[in-house]
Amino acid sequence: MANAIVTGASRGIGRAIVEKFASEGICIWACSHNPDTELEVWYAGLAEKHGVFIRPVYFDLADEQSVSGAMKGIFAENLPVDILVNNAGIPSGGLMNMTSTGELRRVLDINFVSQVRIMQLVSRKMMRQGNGSIINMGSVGGLEARPGYLAYGSSKAALMWATRSVSKELGPYGIRVNAVAPGLVDTDMGSYKKDEEARKIISGMPIQRKGEPMEIANAVYFLASDESSFITGSIINVDGGRIV
Amino acid sequence: MTNREKYVQAFVEGLEINADQTEGLAYEAIPEWDSVGHMNLIGCLEEAFDIMMETDDIIELNSFEKGIEILKKYGITIA
Repeated sequence: MANAIVTGASRGIGRAIVEKFASEGICIWACSHNPDTELEVWYAGLAEKHGVFIRPVYFDLADEQSVSGAMKGIFAENLPVDILVNNAGIPSGGLMNMTSTGELRRVLDINFVSQVRIMQLVSRKMMRQGNGSIINMGSVGGLEARPGYLAYGSSKAALMWATRSVSKELGPYGIRVNAVAPGLVDTDMGSYKKDEEARKIISGMPIQRKGEPMEIANAVYFLASDESSFITGSIINVDGGRIV
Repeated sequence: MTNREKYVQAFVEGLEINADQTEGLAYEAIPEWDSVGHMNLIGCLEEAFDIMMETDDIIELNSFEKGIEILKKYGITIA
């Protein structure tokens, strides 16, 4: 039975990843920002249904000490950490000249620096284990240059570059590092784009609809599982063909 | 096993060297203590003392003696 850390687990794609992993018999430390009793009830039901554990872990990605403390708590359980899914992130929009340096730093801190921080901590445990799979949540927004997404697009581009770079550093330790780059997905965060802009994007896609969170979770599970044992340093676009 | 023995053993395992090579050893002074060896060493130290080192400390740990100083921050005394 494998164990996974999933960040941003409370909603959207993260919630679907928790559901998918649990259904595949993977135990989960489900990480999110705010304690949520309803969510914990859902975790408990899911865990019981599939015979796994799903432990809620709460921390603030913007606070380095909070991140370290949470990881220490997980490691203190003395269980292997086989999978890390760096899924948490925040949306941001605005033209370059409408983006303050403060906002730019905030988005880069949460969507990039914090993700690297978690990789640093978890990879050292995986190195000692001699195995592991890390999946970062990229975005086609970090591959496709569109006006109005300087902070978000740059943060996701940085994370995807880091994915490829770190895959070379961690490969010798038996750790695979990949990313999934979703396109438009039917989540709260996916609804950040204005309807008109979303319609325009969808009209140019071979598969003309938004993706479902579970369609992203399926790709994440593939990268987490041994089915992808010869894949590392890859970015898998799950975007309905938006970028071809 | 004393803390010093555990500390030396971490160098032996992490860098794949002999115990008599550890005293006075510095980062990149021998081929075994390169960046890859360094991460192996950090892993062994974290496991031996059940700690999670901060990135700044990992960067600053550039000698056998400096490591003893850094470990004090984690409440580990090596006599």
